[in-house]
Amino acid sequence: MASGSPPRNPPSGLTDRSGSFFKLIDTFALEIGELKREMVQTSPTVDKEPMDLQGLESEVGGVYLQSPHCGGVGGERDSGYDSLRRRMSVLDRLTQTHPVWLLLAVSEEEACRILLKQPPGVFLVRKSGALQRKVLCVRLKEDQSGTPISHFPVRESQYTFSLEESGISFADLFRLVAFYCISRDVLPFTLKLPEAIASAKTQKELEEVAQLGAGFWDSALCSQRRSSPRPCRPLSRTLSPQPTNRNRKAEGSEHRHPGAHCDSAPPTLRSRSPPASFHQERRHSGGRLCFVNPLFLQTHHHHHHRRRRCEGRPPSPNNLENAGKSSVTPLNSSQAATTRPKSMPEAATVSTRQQQQSPSRRPAPARPPMGAKHSSPSKSATSPIPVPSNPPPPRPKKPDLEAHRCHIALDDETIAKALSRAKLPPCQPPPAVPAEALLENNAGSPSTPKERGRQRLSDMSMSTSSSDSLEYSQSPGFSLGLAQSPSRHLNHQDRVEDSSEDDEDGEEDEDEDYGVGLETDLEMHLRPSLKARRRRVGVSLGGGSFILPRALKGRFRKMSGMLSSFMTPERRAVKRIAELSRDKSSYFGSLVQDYISFVQENRGCHTSGVDFLQTLRQFMTQMKAYLRQSSELDPPLESLIPEDQIDQVLEKAMHKCVLKPLKSVIEVALHDFQVSSGALQQLRENLALAKTKRPQELGVDGAVPPDPMAIEKIRHKFLNMRKMYSPEKKVSLLLRVCKLIYTIMQDNSGRMYGADDFLPMLTYVVAQCDMPQLDTDIQYMMELLDPSLLQGEGGYYLTSAYGAMSLIRNFQEEQAARVLSSEARNTLHQWHQRRTTQRTAPTVDDFQNYLRVALQEVDTGCTAKTLIVHPYTTTEEVCSLCAYKFKIPDPDTYALFLVTGDTRQQLAPDTHPQRIKAELHSRPRAQIFHFVFRKVPNLNLCIPALMNNGNCLQVE
Amino acid sequence: MAIRELKVCLLGDTGVGKSSIVCRFVQDHFDHNISPTIGASFLTKTVPSGNELHKFLIWDTAGQERFHSLAPMYYRGSAAAVIVYDITKLDSFQTLKKWVKELKEHGPEDIVVAIAGNKNDLGDIREVPMKEAKEFAESIAAVFIETSARNAVNVEELFQKISKQIPPLENPEVESNESFKLTRQPAASARRCC
Repeated sequence: MASGSPPRNPPSGLTDRSGSFFKLIDTFALEIGELKREMVQTSPTVDKEPMDLQGLESEVGGVYLQSPHCGGVGGERDSGYDSLRRRMSVLDRLTQTHPVWLLLAVSEEEACRILLKQPPGVFLVRKSGALQRKVLCVRLKEDQSGTPISHFPVRESQYTFSLEESGISFADLFRLVAFYCISRDVLPFTLKLPEAIASAKTQKELEEVAQLGAGFWDSALCSQRRSSPRPCRPLSRTLSPQPTNRNRKAEGSEHRHPGAHCDSAPPTLRSRSPPASFHQERRHSGGRLCFVNPLFLQTHHHHHHRRRRCEGRPPSPNNLENAGKSSVTPLNSSQAATTRPKSMPEAATVSTRQQQQSPSRRPAPARPPMGAKHSSPSKSATSPIPVPSNPPPPRPKKPDLEAHRCHIALDDETIAKALSRAKLPPCQPPPAVPAEALLENNAGSPSTPKERGRQRLSDMSMSTSSSDSLEYSQSPGFSLGLAQSPSRHLNHQDRVEDSSEDDEDGEEDEDEDYGVGLETDLEMHLRPSLKARRRRVGVSLGGGSFILPRALKGRFRKMSGMLSSFMTPERRAVKRIAELSRDKSSYFGSLVQDYISFVQENRGCHTSGVDFLQTLRQFMTQMKAYLRQSSELDPPLESLIPEDQIDQVLEKAMHKCVLKPLKSVIEVALHDFQVSSGALQQLRENLALAKTKRPQELGVDGAVPPDPMAIEKIRHKFLNMRKMYSPEKKVSLLLRVCKLIYTIMQDNSGRMYGADDFLPMLTYVVAQCDMPQLDTDIQYMMELLDPSLLQGEGGYYLTSAYGAMSLIRNFQEEQAARVLSSEARNTLHQWHQRRTTQRTAPTVDDFQNYLRVALQEVDTGCTAKTLIVHPYTTTEEVCSLCAYKFKIPDPDTYALFLVTGDTRQQLAPDTHPQRIKAELHSRPRAQIFHFVFRKVPNLNLCIPALMNNGNCLQVE
Repeated sequence: MAIRELKVCLLGDTGVGKSSIVCRFVQDHFDHNISPTIGASFLTKTVPSGNELHKFLIWDTAGQERFHSLAPMYYRGSAAAVIVYDITKLDSFQTLKKWVKELKEHGPEDIVVAIAGNKNDLGDIREVPMKEAKEFAESIAAVFIETSARNAVNVEELFQKISKQIPPLENPEVESNESFKLTRQPAASARRCC
C-alpha cells in the first residue's frame, strides 16, 4: 500500500468484472471515499503510518482536481498531495471563493456581462429582485438556443436549497453548486469553475482569488487562466492528461471521480425515481437526470465491498453513513459527534478517519476519538482509530447490503460521486448484475494489494467526510445506515488486514455487511452499545425499492423530503456565529464579548430584574439585526439557511452567544433583585399559604387534580427547565408540564378543558410545587423569549404561568384582585415598552451606539469625544451634536469626515454614521478609520481669487 | 397567500361557553392528526380571507372574578376580542358590558370587538333579548351574532365576520424601526430573471 496505491480497479477493471452494476457501484464508492477525503479540511494525522500516507498520496492524486501541470511525475504528485492535505475539494473551492461567484447584489445585466466573457458552464449566483430569489446564472454554449446565459431560480424550502425544476435538494447553496459541478441534473451541462479557482493548488491561491470578489471576473487572473490549455473539466482528475504513476495504477478509480468534489452535497431525494431511471449523463443530454436512488444504493454497496477487501477492514455501513453525513455537514461534525453520541452513524465517521490514517486494522480497542470530539479543523488529526478488535459475528449478508444501499441513496455525496463517475465513459461498467450475485462473489475473496491502496484512500476520504457529516446523524438517511452489529465489523477488519486486498466482488458483499471501519471511535469508546442500536435499512437492488425496517420507515418518509440535511445547516450556522462571537477581532465578536464582560461586572446598574432582562433582550435583538446586515459572517448566512429560517437561526445563535455565558450571572442577579425587593420573602410566605389550599379553594371545579406523585414529576420538570439557558427550550419544557396537567385533568374523559378550568389548575399545581425560584424563571422566559413567539402557544402558557404565579404571590392580600390589576397593568406597560422598539434612555445595551468622533482643529490638533449615536442618526444630527459637544461657534463650516488611511471623505448630511461604521467593521479586511469633525476645506480657500470675495472670512 | 397571525382573545363569564365555541370552531373540519396545541385553552385555526390567510391564535381566559385582573395580559396585542355571554343569563350580559368598557379603556386601539350570545339553542329560557344585545353591539360598533356551540350554529360565521373586520395589511414590507440596512441590498436594476 505504502508505495503506490494500486487502485484495485483499473479503469478497465470495472468492465472486466463481469460488467456488473455492482462493480460500478464499488468503484463509485471508492471514489466517493476519496472525494470525501478531499472534503476534509484538516489533514494532519498524528498517528498516521508512513505507509498509509504513501498510499494516500498516490490515491489522492486521483481524487483531487489536478491542475494539468501537476500531472506526471511523483514530484508533480505533490500538488495532489498538497491538495489532499488542504482538502481542496470542489466544495472547499467554492466555499472559499464565494465572494467571486456568490454575488447576491449583482443585477441581471451585470451578471450577463460577466458571464458573456466566460466559457460555457461558468456561473454565478445572484439574487433576483423581481423573484425575490436567488438565481443561478449559467453561461451556455455559443450554439445553444440564442440566449447565452440561462437563469435557474433557486428554491428555498424550510430546510433546503434546490433548483426550481429539480427534485434534488441540498443543505446549503454551496453544496448545491458543488453538486451541479459534477452532475448536470436539470442543467444543460455541468457547471464549471473558473480556471483560476479550479486549478488553484493552494489555499493561498484561492484566497487571492476570493479577495478580488466580483472584481475577479475582470481581472487578469480570470482571463489568464481561461486561456490556459487546460481541459474543460477543471475538477476531474481523470481528465487530466498526465496521470502520475500512482494515478495510473489507480486509474480506474480515478477516472471515475472526475467531478469529485461534490461529494459533500447531500441532496435530498424528493422524488423517488425508479432505479431504472438512472441514466448516464451522456445518454440524456436533454432531459433531467434522475438517477439517484438506485445508483446510489448500488454504489454504496460496492463501495463497501471493495473497501473491506482492500483494507482488510470492511468498511462498515457507518462509513457510508459517514460519508453521506460528512457531505452534508462538514463543519460541525465534531460537534455533532459530541452532541449526539446516540446516533451511531456519525460516530462511525470518526472511525473512518482513523482508518484512513492508519489503514491497517487496529485490533486494539478504539483509541480516544480525538478528532470526533474536537470538531475543529483538526478532524484529520484524529488519530487513526482502531476498528473494534473484537471479532464480530458474521452478519447476514443481505440485510447489510440493503442497509448500505439505503445509506448510499441517502447520501448526497454518494449520489454526486456516482453521478460524476457515471459520466465517465471508461469507468462505467454496465449495471447489469444483481446485487445478490455480487454479494456472493464478494464473500471470501481476498483483496488485491492494489485495491487496498485504493480502499485506504477511500476510507480516508470517507472519514473526513464523516467528520463533517456528524451533524447530520439525526437525519434519517444516516440513521438508517447504522450497522446492526458492530462486532461484525471488527471481524472484517481483522480479516481484512490480514488478507490483502481482494478484487473479487463476492468478498465485497461480506465486507459491506460488516462495514467495520465505519464505527467511529467515539462510538466505540463511548457507547459500544450504540452499535447494536443501529438499524439497517435494506434496499432491494433489483426493484429499486427500499426495504426499510418498520421503525425506520416512518422516519424515512418524513425525511425523504429533506433527506439527511435536516438539522445540520442550522447547527452549522449557529456554530459559526458562536465562533464569531468569541473572536474579538471581529466587530460582532468584540461587541458580544464586551457586552458580556460589561454585564458580568455591572449587573448592579439595573433597577430591577425586568429592566435587566429587557436590556439583554434588546441587545440580542440588535445583534440579530446586525448579523443580518453585516458581511462578517463568512460564508454569508443566506447561502446556508433558507431566508425564512434565518431569524430563528439567529435567535438560537444569540442564546448561545449571549445567554449561555451569562446564565449564571443572570440567575444571581435576578435572585438578588428578588431578595432586595422583598419579593422573595413575600412569595415564600404566600406560596406556603397557597400550598395548604385545596384545589376547590383555588377555583378548580370538576377536573381531576394531580396527585402528589404527579406533582413531584412536575416539580422535576420545572427543575430541569431551570437548567436551560435558552428561553425557547425553557418554554418547551413548560409546555410539557402544561400538557401533563391537561392529561391528568382529562383523566381519559376526553373532555376539552378551556382556561376556566386550566388556569385554576395551573395555579394549584404551581402552589403545590412550592418553588419560589420558578418566579424568576418565568420572568426570564417572558423577557427573553423571541418576541415573535409571544403570541403563540408558548406565549400563552407562559402568560398563564405568570398569571398563576402572580395570583399566588398576592394570595394573602385581601384585595388581591386590585393589587394584581395594577401590577398586571404594570407588566403590560413594560411589555409594551419592550415591544416598541425605541427606548428613550440609553442603557448598557446601547453601548454599541457610541461613536467616537475626533475634533480636528488646525491649531489645537485632535480631541476626541464619544457620542451616543444611534444607527438611525443622520450625519447632520451628528454634526449638530458635535458642534454642541465641542462647543463650535460656527458649526456651519464644519462637517463630519470619514478618514481611512490616506483618504478623507466628507459624509453627506443624510447618511448614517453608525451604519457606515458597522459596514466598515464588517468588511473582511479591517481598515483603520476615524470619524473626524473638522472644518470643511472650503474650495474657496484654495483659490486665492475667491478669497477676496469674503468666503474666506466666513470660513475662518 | 401570506399567512397572517391574528391573536384573538376570548372574554366572558365562566360557564358561558367560551371554550365550547372555540372548540367547535377549531374542531369542525378538523384533522386531529394535525392538532398542534396541547390543550383547549389555546387553539389555532387558519381560514382564508380575501387575499390572505388568517391564522387565528385564540387565547382563552378564565372567566372567574379572581382571574379578572390577569385579563390585560391576555388581550394585550390582540387583533380581536370575542366577548361571549349566555343568552339565558342576564348577569353574563352585564359582565360583557364591563369587558367592553375595559377594552375601550385599556385594550389595544384597533381591536375588533365581537359579541357572541351563546346557547341560542336554549331560546325558551332566554333572559337577554336579541334586540337589546344587537343594539348594544351597534352602539359600540361591534360584531354581533348569536351562536350555539352545541349545535354548531353561527360559529364559523362569527369568525368570518371578525376576519372581515380585520383591516388588510397595507404594506407588508414595512421595516421595523430596529433594523438598519447596511449595504447588501439587491441592485435596483434586478428585474426579470429568465
